Amino acid sequence: MVELKNVDVHYVDGAKGGVDALNDVNIRVNDGEFVFIVGDSGAGKSTLLKLLTREIQPTSGRVFVNGYNLSKLRNRKLPYFRRSLGMIFQDFRLIPTLTVYENVAFVLRVIDKSKKYIRQRVPYVLDLVKLNDKAKAYPGQLSGGEQQRVAIARAFACDPKIIIADEPTGNIDPKLSYEIVELLQDINECGTTVIMVTHNHDLVKYFGGRIINLREGGIAFDGYIEGE
Amino acid sequence: MRMSNFNYLVKRGVGSVFRNAMMSIASFFVLLVSLLLIGVSVLVAMDINVIMTNIEEKNEIDVYVYGDVDQAVLNHIYDALDNNPNRMSVVFYSKEEAWEDKQNEMPEMKELFEYLPENPMPHTYRVTVKDISKISETADEFRTIEGVEKVTAPYDFASALVNIRSTLTVIAGAILVVMVITSVIIIYNAIRSSVFARSKEINIMKVVGATNAFVKIPFFIEGMFIGVAAGAASWFITKITYEALVQLFREDITIWQIFGLSSMVQFDDVTWYFLAANCILGALLGAVGTIISTGKYVKV
Repeated sequence: MVELKNVDVHYVDGAKGGVDALNDVNIRVNDGEFVFIVGDSGAGKSTLLKLLTREIQPTSGRVFVNGYNLSKLRNRKLPYFRRSLGMIFQDFRLIPTLTVYENVAFVLRVIDKSKKYIRQRVPYVLDLVKLNDKAKAYPGQLSGGEQQRVAIARAFACDPKIIIADEPTGNIDPKLSYEIVELLQDINECGTTVIMVTHNHDLVKYFGGRIINLREGGIAFDGYIEGE
Repeated sequence: MRMSNFNYLVKRGVGSVFRNAMMSIASFFVLLVSLLLIGVSVLVAMDINVIMTNIEEKNEIDVYVYGDVDQAVLNHIYDALDNNPNRMSVVFYSKEEAWEDKQNEMPEMKELFEYLPENPMPHTYRVTVKDISKISETADEFRTIEGVEKVTAPYDFASALVNIRSTLTVIAGAILVVMVITSVIIIYNAIRSSVFARSKEINIMKVVGATNAFVKIPFFIEGMFIGVAAGAASWFITKITYEALVQLFREDITIWQIFGLSSMVQFDDVTWYFLAANCILGALLGAVGTIISTGKYVKV
């Protein structure tokens, strides 16, 4: 579960005197939900994601993710909190010197899983994103869509409670964007909460569901729309 | 951490040395030059120490005894000198030997000497001291011994030697400290460039929940690996160069003929210590440099 209570984020900027990135934001995302977060540039989407991954702390208010109170989370506990999340980025963030298989196995090594578990889990998640035949390829040898599928496999490999996807379709062919969202929906159907930030209004209209629209640091809309 | 995952990190660290070959070569040469400079400073300091010790060993206090003393007093003086904690050796030089030597030294005065009613030379004890800086106190102690008429010691020479030694020790120590600090700064910068080139990789590790230790272990191994290699290379170059220099001095350099070749440290005597010290220092510099350099990028 994700919960933001009366969250303000104020960036200090010497020249401008400061910027209010988020103003009194209250959001609650229950386990198993699929949520699109939309909004123009500067609306506060990136700030919201940084709050959820504890890259930044709110100026005031409280943030709870997966049972962790992020305001009180000690730095040495941070890695363990992040293991409960699966992150997907617009620029994929795969390690270029590792193969597809190794990139996925890498996160399992980070969380100290056994060799046996890794040997079973990696082919399973690669099969889920239909990339078993590319297991030995390096990220540079894959298309954008394939790289993003590897990133999804990596995010899902640790069996996280929540997957946070930051513009996952931003760098790929529009046609493939639908495949990526469908893949995320498949994962969501397994019980994983998915929070996806996107600019792509067509995608949101097509799939529908819960939408949170941010505008100028506040919530302009939080509700459900029907998909096409 | 599981052994299999630790082994993986070690393999990744060693693999990085070859994957990032250009950066590894740059770090290797920086470490090599630093270790060579430190090694040469240490060898020069050791040589200076040996030379100074050799010179000091030639330093003596002459203790002159009253002319009319009997054997019991001579024995008492010998015991007193021999029991002094700062004595290295005590040699008795009888008045007869002294008189003979004096006559041989000045053959033109032989006739004049024959007019002398008796042997004017005193019995003498020649004492070499261990610690030249205490020569003045030691001489004062000798003066208080019953039967001793006069004590002479090369005070100026001794104090000059002490000054030279302490100045050289300070200079050698300062050079060593400057070398180590300079090395750490240069290595820090070299490794920081290497780490910066992989800051994206570190960021990914942190995002997926890697602990600081997990991120740092491969860099640590990489730094240590390069450090040990540079240490071994530094040892080899120092050995070849130093032995060639000793050979050169053996043949040509007059000053070394004066002090004797024992005045130089023989590399074979210290070779294993030197190899171990080079490799350990190299590994430490490499590893510590890496740990400091990664610190900034680990905070995501």
